[in-house]
Amino acid sequence: MTSRFRKAASRAAFNLGIALTALRVNLMRSILTTLGVSIGVFAVVLAVAVGSGAQVSVMGAINSLGSNMAIVFPVPDDEGGGAVAERGRLTMRDAVAIERQIEGVTAIAPQLHANVQLVSGGRNAATEAIGVTPGYAQVTNAVAESGRFLSEADVRTAARVIVLGRTVVTKLFGDYDPIGETVRVNKVPFTVVGILEAKGSNLGEDNDDVALVPISAARQRFTTDLPLGPDDLRILFVGIEDGVDLGKVKREISRLLRDRYRVRDGQGSPFIIRTTEEFMEESAMVTGIFQAVLVAIASISLLVGGIGIMNIMLVSVTERTREIGLRMALGAKRSDIRNQFLVEAAVLCMIGGAIGLLLAIGAAAVFEAQADFPVPIGVGTAIGAILFSAVVGLLFGGWPAVRASRLSPIEALRTE
Amino acid sequence: MTVPLVETLSLVKEYAVGGGTVHAIAGVSLAIARGEFVAIMGASGSGKSTFMNMIGCLDIPSSGDVRIDGIATSAMNSDALAELRNSKIGFVFQQFNLLPRTTALDNVAVPLIYAGVGRAERQERARAKLEAMGLGERLDHSPAKLSGGQQQRVAIARALVTEPLILLADEPTGALDSQTSEDIMHLFQTLNEAGNTIILVTHEREIADHASRRIMFRDGKVIEDAPVTGRRVVRP
Repeated sequence: MTSRFRKAASRAAFNLGIALTALRVNLMRSILTTLGVSIGVFAVVLAVAVGSGAQVSVMGAINSLGSNMAIVFPVPDDEGGGAVAERGRLTMRDAVAIERQIEGVTAIAPQLHANVQLVSGGRNAATEAIGVTPGYAQVTNAVAESGRFLSEADVRTAARVIVLGRTVVTKLFGDYDPIGETVRVNKVPFTVVGILEAKGSNLGEDNDDVALVPISAARQRFTTDLPLGPDDLRILFVGIEDGVDLGKVKREISRLLRDRYRVRDGQGSPFIIRTTEEFMEESAMVTGIFQAVLVAIASISLLVGGIGIMNIMLVSVTERTREIGLRMALGAKRSDIRNQFLVEAAVLCMIGGAIGLLLAIGAAAVFEAQADFPVPIGVGTAIGAILFSAVVGLLFGGWPAVRASRLSPIEALRTE
Repeated sequence: MTVPLVETLSLVKEYAVGGGTVHAIAGVSLAIARGEFVAIMGASGSGKSTFMNMIGCLDIPSSGDVRIDGIATSAMNSDALAELRNSKIGFVFQQFNLLPRTTALDNVAVPLIYAGVGRAERQERARAKLEAMGLGERLDHSPAKLSGGQQQRVAIARALVTEPLILLADEPTGALDSQTSEDIMHLFQTLNEAGNTIILVTHEREIADHASRRIMFRDGKVIEDAPVTGRRVVRP
């Protein structure tokens, strides 16, 4: 067993030696052929990395919402059948009922949204103002980096206080600390009481371009995009304990709301419930498809590179027909000849793959620095790229190698 | 009665050429015993090279059989033939056929790789054969740095490194000058005296006269098979 292994290893080393010699002899040709594989591997690795980057971004965007949660919102006009009467509703009372009656709910974050113009001194900023309750901080993991978050008292008194995201602070105040300053929100003065810890951006969406006010103040002072009853909500985040089955909670919320609105069985719900889990799954699917399409397109260039390898291996076999005949005369079996050329093709491709990988790593670094978009090339991708290159070599070197091994010894020897 | 080392039985090799059939070998039966030094002679196209290729198991007969050391080869597959060539037959070619850019030592070691011999032993056996050929000083030379005679001696070392039963030499002096040819023939005679069976193909009478038996081919048939009278024995 050991001696057989030693023989195999010895032959492999021998074939490697022949391959390296052959590649060195035709150095320029080897380099040019390798280039095709390099470009192919470069494209495939980058495609995988960009796809992974999209995945990372989307997951980051979902995670930045907070941890486990269900998001409840009324069915918008255009989907609910048009008539106002059929339009979904969601009220503060619904939110409270969910918090009290559903097991596993940690906190609720009822919200109103409004696009607003902020003005302070000579500067202004357009942003989205969200009317929230203190529960928002808990559900979305929002933290006041300086100053404080909004309190129950702020909500009770509809206080004109505001917590700003980092981007808004920078637009309005630059480096200056704005705590205690007055900001006019759609011409209504609010006092800045806190600054949110930066969350960064995902998929070009700036998580810090936001301003939070008490939900009561938002209802009184802003025209929100859902001008319904005094108790209506635009959206409700329901924070859920870790380890709780999100699907079960979703069903329970749905049953509760259907009961409250007396929706009959078989009738569509006037609200939509989504969980972070669903977002994750859907996003993973979408980004997975995105990645697959990218890789498929990139693979075409690798295919072209592989055809180049096949071409050059056919040339190599033709050039060395006499050598093949000689080796056969000296006792080489068909498998020896075949393996010799397979190793040569695999080595050629692996060198090309390594070069392509290095180029891709460089390009990814430049891309990340310039575009603020993650392009992760993991160790797995790197090893995979090299192994895949070897497979390309074996695949496209296979036919020329088999052809070489099928030569008749005497005809090969007679070739000039 | 001892089994002949090489035996051909009604050996035929035909080629289809332009609608007709050419008989390169038209039914040859002969036997060569262990320890013989045979010269196969004939004009170009006489079939002598085809005959040699078939007893070397490089070419497949159209009909008939070649027996090496009593073993029929006609039913063997390509792998079995490769093993047979590797273990029992050593080839020497007119154009030496050494691998370029490969040292003399590595060239000689090639058959041992296919025999599955480990690296250390390969090196040792190849070195020993090269030293026996008087090339101990040139182990690391590539063929391009060796003279024609030296290259042919590397090739002979390669042919002998697996200790084969038969040494087949196809016009081994065809690319060498007359003095070097004499040296090589002397080497063959020495090897033959040491017990090696040698079969040599040549079209030169002078070269053939170094052998102990001469077989003449014409039109794919043996027309003469006799001991060499007035054998040339080289004594340097």
